[in-house]
Amino acid sequence: MLPIRLSKDSREPIYHQIEKQLKALIAGGHLSAGTPLPSIRALSKDLEISVITIRRAYQDLESQGFIETAHGKGTFVAEIQNSMKQETMTASVQAEFERAIRNAMDYDYTVDEIKMVFEETLEKIGKGE
Amino acid sequence: MQPWIEIKDASKKIDDFQLGPVSLAIEPGTITALVGNNGSGKSTLLKLIMNLANLDGGEINVFGKSVNGKDESWKRHITFQPQNSVGWNAYTGEDLKRLIAPLYTKWDEALFEHMIKLFDIPLDKRFGKLSPGQQQKLSLSLALPRSTEILILDEPTASLDIPSKKLFMDLLVDWMEKEDCAVILTTHQADDLRKLADYLFLMKDGRTVGQYEKDMLAAGFRRYWLKEMPAMPVPGELSRSGNELISDNPDATEQFFTQHENNVIDDKALELEEIISLLLK
Repeated sequence: MLPIRLSKDSREPIYHQIEKQLKALIAGGHLSAGTPLPSIRALSKDLEISVITIRRAYQDLESQGFIETAHGKGTFVAEIQNSMKQETMTASVQAEFERAIRNAMDYDYTVDEIKMVFEETLEKIGKGE
Repeated sequence: MQPWIEIKDASKKIDDFQLGPVSLAIEPGTITALVGNNGSGKSTLLKLIMNLANLDGGEINVFGKSVNGKDESWKRHITFQPQNSVGWNAYTGEDLKRLIAPLYTKWDEALFEHMIKLFDIPLDKRFGKLSPGQQQKLSLSLALPRSTEILILDEPTASLDIPSKKLFMDLLVDWMEKEDCAVILTTHQADDLRKLADYLFLMKDGRTVGQYEKDMLAAGFRRYWLKEMPAMPVPGELSRSGNELISDNPDATEQFFTQHENNVIDDKALELEEIISLLLK
């Protein structure tokens, strides 16, 4: 079973959540090239999502080169270039920071305050706390 | 893609119950769940598809052929498991298999044996002597191995215990891995809907409420907790109670909240069961 965790409460479309998490697993090297992916129907059951949504996510990932389908054999993780891995990782990290910064702005934090929180958090994590 | 089953304005009157007009299309590769309160007409609709009852109006086509036409060859491509199998009580599982298997050219003996073992069904006992759960397990073991393109199951999990339900779901998902097949099932089990259904067809008192893709349906409703409930109606508002508001158009509702003072404390998707209850109210 894939370690995909969907948030059904999020307003982010489900197919988008699946794509993002599969990309992260592939770019992060957790799913290496050639690894078989679950069939659309099996993933639909595990994630409790319709095959229509899963198919859409698989099609998007295939057109972006992350996965490939061998007819009659199933779907596999594709060989992706290092530059694409890097891009995906950067985009994912950026998105997380963006989310955190927007959250801080919603609480009316100033830029300097945000920087301070960032520095403190970085220091805390660096110390292994 | 051409639908495999096409129901157009089908109607049927039985005593004082009026079904339809109902329209529904079933495409290959999908699982459609018929959902409705008791007596909503789900089983009647399935009987009409199988031509076990005569249509009063409208038409039903299976693989492009009218179900009440002379050519009944389409029946070999459909497996229908009714809630109660009439006439089976006197036969053992072994007898039933000997009667049914030869009718289907793609009968999967290995799958049959696998299911009998998995469900632990005594094949030498008469059907009528089996418990309701065992009867259902045997019926399923006599249905899936027929390997027909279309599988119609009327409440397949109603009498199954929790482990058997899980086994059944896994078996059905495996069964669906075949290239082309489609499933229609009726169910009152929320778990069947969550794990198996792609489309939900909702019925109430013989009428169609709607056909929905499951994830679109789930995304189409949302509950908001507000600091203060606006006096005016909110776009998309379906119901309000205290500081809680349910919307059936989250986009419109959230646009309104952004334009007016953003006073949302929290928001959450609705469970599928709750959405269905709202639609069947």
